[in-house]
Amino acid sequence: MITTPHDVKDYRAHLKKALKNQFLATTLDNFATAYRASRARAFENIDLEGLIQEIAEGKDASIPYLEELFALFKTRAENAGVKVHVARTATDANEIISSIAKANGVRKIVKGKSMTAEETFLNAHLEKEGYQVTETDLGEWIIQLRHEGPSHMVMPAIHLSRRQVAELFTEVTGKYQDPDDINGMVKVARRELRQAFLEADMGITGANFAIAETGTIALLTNEGNGRLVTTMPRVHVALVGFDKLIPDLKSALRVLHVLPRNATGQAISTYLTWITGANECTTGPAGRKEMHIVFLDNGRLALARDPVFSRALRCIRCGACANVCPIYKLVGGHNYGHVYIGAIGLILTYFYHGRENARAIVQNCLNCQACKSVCPTGIDLPHLIKEVYRTVLEAEGKKPIKNVLLSRALKDRRLFHFLLRRAYLAQQPLAGGEPLMRHLPMFLSKEHGFRSLPVLAKRPLRDIWDRINPRVQNPRYRVALFGGCLVDFVYPEQAEALLKVSKDYKVQFEYPMDQSCCGLPAKMMGENKTARELAVQNLQAMDPAAYDYVLTLCASCGSHLKKNYPGLLANDAGLQVKVQQLKDKVIDFSSFMQNVLQVSSEKFAGTYKKVAYHSPCHLCRGLQVTKEPRELMKTAGLDYVSAPDEDVCCGFGGSFSIDFPEISAELLKRKLDNVEATGAEALVTDCPGCVLQLRGGMDKRGAGKIEVMHIAELVADTLKK
Amino acid sequence: MEKQVNLKEMLKEKAQEVQSIVFEIGSLEEAFHYAIDITRKQGGTVLAAPGLGNQDASAFFAFQALCEEKGMSLLKEDLRAQVGRLHTGFTVADYGIAETATIVQDSSSEDLRIATMLSEIHVAVLPASCIVFDAVSLENEMKRFMDSPPNYLAFLSGASRTADIERVLTIGVHGPQELHILILAEDRA
Repeated sequence: MITTPHDVKDYRAHLKKALKNQFLATTLDNFATAYRASRARAFENIDLEGLIQEIAEGKDASIPYLEELFALFKTRAENAGVKVHVARTATDANEIISSIAKANGVRKIVKGKSMTAEETFLNAHLEKEGYQVTETDLGEWIIQLRHEGPSHMVMPAIHLSRRQVAELFTEVTGKYQDPDDINGMVKVARRELRQAFLEADMGITGANFAIAETGTIALLTNEGNGRLVTTMPRVHVALVGFDKLIPDLKSALRVLHVLPRNATGQAISTYLTWITGANECTTGPAGRKEMHIVFLDNGRLALARDPVFSRALRCIRCGACANVCPIYKLVGGHNYGHVYIGAIGLILTYFYHGRENARAIVQNCLNCQACKSVCPTGIDLPHLIKEVYRTVLEAEGKKPIKNVLLSRALKDRRLFHFLLRRAYLAQQPLAGGEPLMRHLPMFLSKEHGFRSLPVLAKRPLRDIWDRINPRVQNPRYRVALFGGCLVDFVYPEQAEALLKVSKDYKVQFEYPMDQSCCGLPAKMMGENKTARELAVQNLQAMDPAAYDYVLTLCASCGSHLKKNYPGLLANDAGLQVKVQQLKDKVIDFSSFMQNVLQVSSEKFAGTYKKVAYHSPCHLCRGLQVTKEPRELMKTAGLDYVSAPDEDVCCGFGGSFSIDFPEISAELLKRKLDNVEATGAEALVTDCPGCVLQLRGGMDKRGAGKIEVMHIAELVADTLKK
Repeated sequence: MEKQVNLKEMLKEKAQEVQSIVFEIGSLEEAFHYAIDITRKQGGTVLAAPGLGNQDASAFFAFQALCEEKGMSLLKEDLRAQVGRLHTGFTVADYGIAETATIVQDSSSEDLRIATMLSEIHVAVLPASCIVFDAVSLENEMKRFMDSPPNYLAFLSGASRTADIERVLTIGVHGPQELHILILAEDRA
């Protein structure tokens, strides 16, 4: 039923197909927009940051003690008449549950929604054993009838249109269902499933929490099916992952502050049920429910001990990581996970469903940080996704050729820069004297033709630096410029713009010549050793203590230096002070201009050019800078026109755009469509990577339609002469 | 006192957001009339008040008498056999949570669960003095329930709903299609 491609080639074929699904595109786009608004409303007046921190700390404190929590839970639950089981594997869980059914003369089963039961493929097993299983959550019932897996952890049927559901219900009931009568279709489910509740011998649910101090399980639903599944049948089996165990009611209430709000924008789900022990059930043995709780391991206990991946067990299954993922929005959940969907799905698939199922999907991540920015338990999802990718590569023992080549080149700065200079010569025939290549180098195929590629600079920044950088008498600030590969070798003019705007502000810039690639591309490929070596090189090249600031024109570099260097160099005892100093001093262009230099609007000619803005992922989410670029445009007398989805990824993602060009192209198209609709004459951004993508895409639309620039360039252009 | 008034107002405000219908009443008898009227208006004939039967026998009989006067029946127990007939479930809530317009109902009794799950509408009387601000305020009370198992504690925050078909919000899936909250001014039912 659920099949996931095992290699990228096959996966890309599925993705291409999904991209053509107009209904899916529209419905997920509408959802993404609606979700953003409803989540903001739900968290108004709530200190979300503080709450996330508390929840993360609480989870991290209990994850190492899952087995102890289990022991306590078991004692309490058994005292209250519950039979508690442990399933080491998915197969164990399925067999335990079917043997409970057998022992109790069960024929018909009703199920509440449970991702854990999806994980073990419980329904398939029970049906094979001859039991009739009926899903009772509307979305789950629909996909059960269609023999599909869920396409979202909270809204399993979100990928289906009303017409598809109407056709399904017409078939199931034998009566015509009007696709526009959604209420009517819901009432079909109410009627049909009512019978199932009344006839069932056994109810199976999951649980949102398993509270150790009282032996209580808690269930959240909106439909009311959880209550019926746990009341009408004489047997109740709850299948619960070990990671659902929490110490006390207080912890549950804390998580409840965020779970419904983050999942669906509701302050609380309609029905929250707290079940302790075997409750009254007039059809059960001795008037009590035959109550069983099956705790599933399936790798969770080992995960709990893993120093890198244990954080993944913080997940409370809210589904938000899918809701904000720009790739999920394009291709839907069947193509963005295996059983578990979204960013957490890319991680858990490796552990619960194996490397084969994880191998391709785990590569489909832009590292745009959207998921991390909404995770209510503070999981660094993009980091874990790359770590899973690295783990897959290590397990398979054979690296992709690009990893080998890139590592080799990056580790040796002189070699790397030599190759770049040679590449300049090599690309001349393709460029034909233009700043953009419109014909592709041969190692790229025609799918990569959605954007023109830039030509390498004839003279990189490091070669012209001494000529263009003035010596300042009694400078107020000493600032190291970290160029990054793109500014140095492709867009040195962006640094020239920086110098132009900074003139008269008494800033002495320096360009430490031994700096190299920041190392982000290496980390993205799972080459952590190389990334670490580059971090060491860069810290040796520029001592943060010698400067007031370390300025970057590239948000990706800035975010990597600030946020990732500490983790990469955690084991380098001698470098901790430098790492911290670097973290404190890294600053982006817009923030430097607005907050440090406080550039005056009098310096600008007030052209009031209509300008649109693209917010780089690594600026708004990586560095948490959002207002400075907009303020800077205002200071510079530009007429900033806002566009929808300014902070959605442009689709570059470095090598992502080479690996998944169709996704990259579609994200780029939507971005440029939004910008064109504003009527802007120019588009600015704070990242040369985004400039590459946006300018390349804009070029394909009709050369020079809207000028795409680094914000430094446009701001420099509007200076008074 | 003022705090309770504010909590009551907050609950009323939040109830609107989840389509719960809220009225203030002065006596339990008012609640009986309300339940009977709404049942009749909706074409139902059978009500169930299982909890009431256990808490206060005289109140139950009074309610039952009123129902029969209007040609309706009020059930007390053994609801499993009566599932198809049930229109209105009538309960007295244990607590109310203002922040989320939630009714907290100890539902360990099977009859109480059936009355509040398989009825078309649920009418819940909520003593005003039992309204607290948030779930955290009820932590001790909840723990007390959980520490004396078996226990089935229900938080009800509106009518049954789904958005599973094209994200269109639809009320009335498996649970009651309406939740009526009658805030009772007296401290005693």
